[in-house]
Amino acid sequence: MARRRDEEDDDVDDEEYEDEEEQLMDDEDYDEDEDVGRGRGGSSTKRRRSDFIDDVAEEDDEEDEDDDDEDFGGGKRHNKAPRVGSQFFDLEAQVDSDEEEEEDEGEDDFIVESGGDLPEEDVGRRMHRRPLPLREDEQEDVEALERSIQARYARSSHTEYDEETTDVEQQALLPSVRDPKLWMVKCAIGRERETAVCLMQKYIDKGSELQIRSVIALDHLKNYIYIEADKEAHVREAVKGLRNIFGTKIMLVPIREMTDVLSVESKAIDLSRDTWVRMKIGTYKGDLAQVVDVDNVRQRVTVKLIPRIDLQALANKLEGREVAKKKAFVPPPRFMNVDEARELHIRVERRRDPMTGDYFENIGGMLFKDGFLYKTVSMKSISAQNIKPTFDELEKFRTPSGNGEGEMVGLSTLFANRKKGHFMKGDAVIVVKGDLKNLKGWVEKVEEENVHIRPEMKGLPKTLAVNEKELCKYFEPGNHVKVVSGTKEGATGMVVKVEQHVLIILSDTTKEHIRVFADDVVESSEVTTGVTKIGEYELHDLVLLDNNSFGVIIRVESEAFQVLKGVPERLEVSLVKLREIKCKIEKKFNVQDRYRNTVSVKDVVRILEGPCKGKQGPVEHIYKGVLFVYDRHHLEHAGFICAKADSCCIVGGSRSNGDRNGDSFSRFGGFKTPPRVPPSPRRFSRGGPPYDSGGRNRGGRGGHDALIGTTVKIRQGPFKGYRGRVVDIKGQSVRVELESQMKVVTVDRNFISDNVVISTPYRDTSRYGMGSETPMHPSRTPLHPYMTPMRDPGATPIHDGMRTPMRDRAWNPYAPMSPPRDNWEEGNPASWGTSPQYHPGSPPSRAYEAPTPGSGWASTPGGNYSEAGTPRDSSLAYANAPSPYTPSTPSGQPMTPSSGSYIPGTPGGQPMTPGTGGLDLMSPVIGADNEGPWFMPDILVNVRKSGDETLGVIQEVLPDGSCKVALGSNGSGDTVIVLPSEMEIVAPRKSDKIKIMGGSLRGVTGKLIGVDGTDGIVRIDDSLDVKILDLVILAKLP
Amino acid sequence: MGSAPAQIPTSFGHELRACLRCRLVKTYDQFRESGCENCPFFKMDDDHERVVDCTTPNFNGIISVMDPTRSWAARWLRIGRFVPGCYTLAVSEALPEDLQAAANWVMFLELKKGDGHGNKILETGNHMDENFIAQHI
Repeated sequence: MARRRDEEDDDVDDEEYEDEEEQLMDDEDYDEDEDVGRGRGGSSTKRRRSDFIDDVAEEDDEEDEDDDDEDFGGGKRHNKAPRVGSQFFDLEAQVDSDEEEEEDEGEDDFIVESGGDLPEEDVGRRMHRRPLPLREDEQEDVEALERSIQARYARSSHTEYDEETTDVEQQALLPSVRDPKLWMVKCAIGRERETAVCLMQKYIDKGSELQIRSVIALDHLKNYIYIEADKEAHVREAVKGLRNIFGTKIMLVPIREMTDVLSVESKAIDLSRDTWVRMKIGTYKGDLAQVVDVDNVRQRVTVKLIPRIDLQALANKLEGREVAKKKAFVPPPRFMNVDEARELHIRVERRRDPMTGDYFENIGGMLFKDGFLYKTVSMKSISAQNIKPTFDELEKFRTPSGNGEGEMVGLSTLFANRKKGHFMKGDAVIVVKGDLKNLKGWVEKVEEENVHIRPEMKGLPKTLAVNEKELCKYFEPGNHVKVVSGTKEGATGMVVKVEQHVLIILSDTTKEHIRVFADDVVESSEVTTGVTKIGEYELHDLVLLDNNSFGVIIRVESEAFQVLKGVPERLEVSLVKLREIKCKIEKKFNVQDRYRNTVSVKDVVRILEGPCKGKQGPVEHIYKGVLFVYDRHHLEHAGFICAKADSCCIVGGSRSNGDRNGDSFSRFGGFKTPPRVPPSPRRFSRGGPPYDSGGRNRGGRGGHDALIGTTVKIRQGPFKGYRGRVVDIKGQSVRVELESQMKVVTVDRNFISDNVVISTPYRDTSRYGMGSETPMHPSRTPLHPYMTPMRDPGATPIHDGMRTPMRDRAWNPYAPMSPPRDNWEEGNPASWGTSPQYHPGSPPSRAYEAPTPGSGWASTPGGNYSEAGTPRDSSLAYANAPSPYTPSTPSGQPMTPSSGSYIPGTPGGQPMTPGTGGLDLMSPVIGADNEGPWFMPDILVNVRKSGDETLGVIQEVLPDGSCKVALGSNGSGDTVIVLPSEMEIVAPRKSDKIKIMGGSLRGVTGKLIGVDGTDGIVRIDDSLDVKILDLVILAKLP
Repeated sequence: MGSAPAQIPTSFGHELRACLRCRLVKTYDQFRESGCENCPFFKMDDDHERVVDCTTPNFNGIISVMDPTRSWAARWLRIGRFVPGCYTLAVSEALPEDLQAAANWVMFLELKKGDGHGNKILETGNHMDENFIAQHI
């Protein structure tokens, strides 16, 4: 039989050449007497064909034999191999020796011989041939032995070699045109198997009258069976009279699809004990369950589930009080508590299961054990394929029994569910089972089931083959990984702890610890933000949930959201599926804080009581009197805090001041935005001026494209009222980066207006800078805008007076983060270090309270405003009005006066606006500031007071920026306080002693030994080094 | 046909079982009474427990093979060398390791033992089976 098979194999391989060969054969047939003598009486065409092929090959053999008689046997053997080369390769892969195979082949002939339809001649030939080797070759007795064995087992049809099938081999078995065909025949539904068996019986009864080869009934294909036969007529003949087969339509299965018919997805995942499954239907639909018993005969499975039982309803039902009506909701999974049940007068019977000996609690016909429900269901109602229990689910399953044993079982189940290609070359792995347990290594090669690993330990073979199921991925704390499957898919983070096959990862996005299976993780340096949106709901959205509760989405998982509920008393986070979300709440509400100040979204509030007391940040959402505050420093819940509005107070300069003082708020109508734009936009405007102003100016005057980079206000649509920077323009739509929200939105071009008041002032920057005639202008720029509209720079002392402190105020906050500040401080021991701005938590307003009466907008009780109308005050009002910007300029100081880390960590304050222009622009500003000259003690200045110009020497620089100056060219005169705007550094001349006021050498003294254009050549006193420095940063010493 | 066909299943329901080695499908009773035609060395007819070990009710699809040698399907499924009969397309379990080893060893031992005495093997073979299986299972 194998012989037959082999030949057919051959056919398959030689298919293409067949025609050629056949012709060739025909020619040779005439020549070869032997062949003719043998004859070929094969009944079927196909049969004959294959013989032909054999014969062709054999003819060669025989020619060889004739040539070399001595080597008769050997020659034959030798030549045989190539003859059946293709199938020999296959077979050799399976068996140990050729001999076996050949004999195998021979044996099959034996069998075939007994078969009716094999031509006698053929068999005779083989018989004739076989004994020869026996006599001649030493090996032949072995062969004989094998042959005998084969003979015996051929009868019982051993297929030892079939066990290890390789793909290549199977390929060789692909159907060819000469193979019988498959025909599809309609049969009675549910009778497929029966029909197949009936046909078998019919064949046995009728013998070879039936020309069909096989009948296939697939479990998954109802209403049809396949019949394998050469001709449709044979099929017709065979099915004649079968009551289960009706209809006369017989369809041919295309040769390409033949293998598909037979490749059955074997239910490889056998439902064995402890397998994780999911329920497909009913109350428990989607729930994880564990198989505890399988009844294959009745196709039923007993599974262990976490019960979803409403005890009250159950009690009612059992007592017949209330007819259980269909309930809309599904009770949450909860372990059965027998005592609780008894309390409700539910009868609990304790019974011993006769089979297992375990005790079960029987409640209303349901069986419980250890709180789990044991339920017997049809195999069809569970799905066992590709079940990936999440970590949480498994944890729950482990709870009551509490022994770690179950975990390992679960682990193996997990492994069983592993996808193919789970391991990749180079993966670090650890052996978790077997003799090599705990051996670490790296994957070298992955085969079907075995993984070749390069063990870490020395003294072991280079590579070891380990079953995939005995391996687990291995990570070490510190590895940066990416979660590639499971509910946390997409997250990245650093491994902080390894607990066997469970990793604890510090997520990059949420900064929270997440627990994942090592299996679900790959090492990766990728840092992802993960998914932030499912459907229409996005991270940080305020959503209304099913049960009328609401909350903020603080994390988006692959199928669900984590929502921080709007319950201010306790921070409650729940996992919410998409369908449980009713809608997004987008309406903006205003509420009143504890002091009855109006709080609206984006206002900065501080929480005065509750678990998050002391925290503060901008309000992100307001709903039903509950505020969701975003505090960057709050590490939990993605920084969100939920608090009652009346336990918060608004912080910083908000319109509430105006309210309180009875001042009409409308006055600030134009500046409505200020309080609402706390962190990022400020940064933006702060950093903006020197760099961005150009862009804005362009935007103001330029064409359409020049709109990019400009600050616009959205006039219509969902983002009405928002301001932002144009980042892109495409046709009619404009992409605007909102200042108040960290996102870029697309709006219609017609919906924006680009004449935003606040940004225009920058246009005058340069003029003003020149006017000041001091190298400080860069530092002043940001403030300047606010004054420009009012008057000419420097026109009045008031103005100057105002400007200066503001400048100080504006720039001080930078100082802490600018590296050169140290020098600076050294140079001004008395001054800056003590300035109030440096005190974390001090309201920034203090800084300018002192020098300029009007500027203390935050702390002054609004008197300024009420005085509006007087010329002076109007200027003050202006000064005040913008001030909300200014204080916030230094990275939102007013926002977090209490947070010590905030100011020094200004760079850290920026993550809130990653990627905004402001961020980038800021640092250069700092640089400019660093270099920017400043008054320092000891230097000679030209003091202009009330029209007089006198020389003086600065003795001390006061915190507010003004200086104590000793008048006189050598500082011998009176000491007066001079505002910075009232003095000017005296430019040094050649050979003057100088002090360097800016740059890295700030504070260093030296001698100006030469002047080259605007550069001064300076010899440093200490080092005697010669430096070339900008003249403007050099101040003459007395 | 070359060999006598195997028994034909007498029912088509859940009583059907498939031999884990050769995938022959018969009812439990049939296996118990006459063993597996392809795998006599399992001695299912002697030891009824063995039937449970060597067969499974979890299989998928049935193929009635009338002419194993000439059926492409039988060849593809690698049952071309078994006796005609009803087989299954796929079983979802593997032969227990010990039985698998036994099946392999039976073959192997007989190959060795029968050195030069072709016919004897047939007789001693059965004996070997018993001993071996008794020993290994």
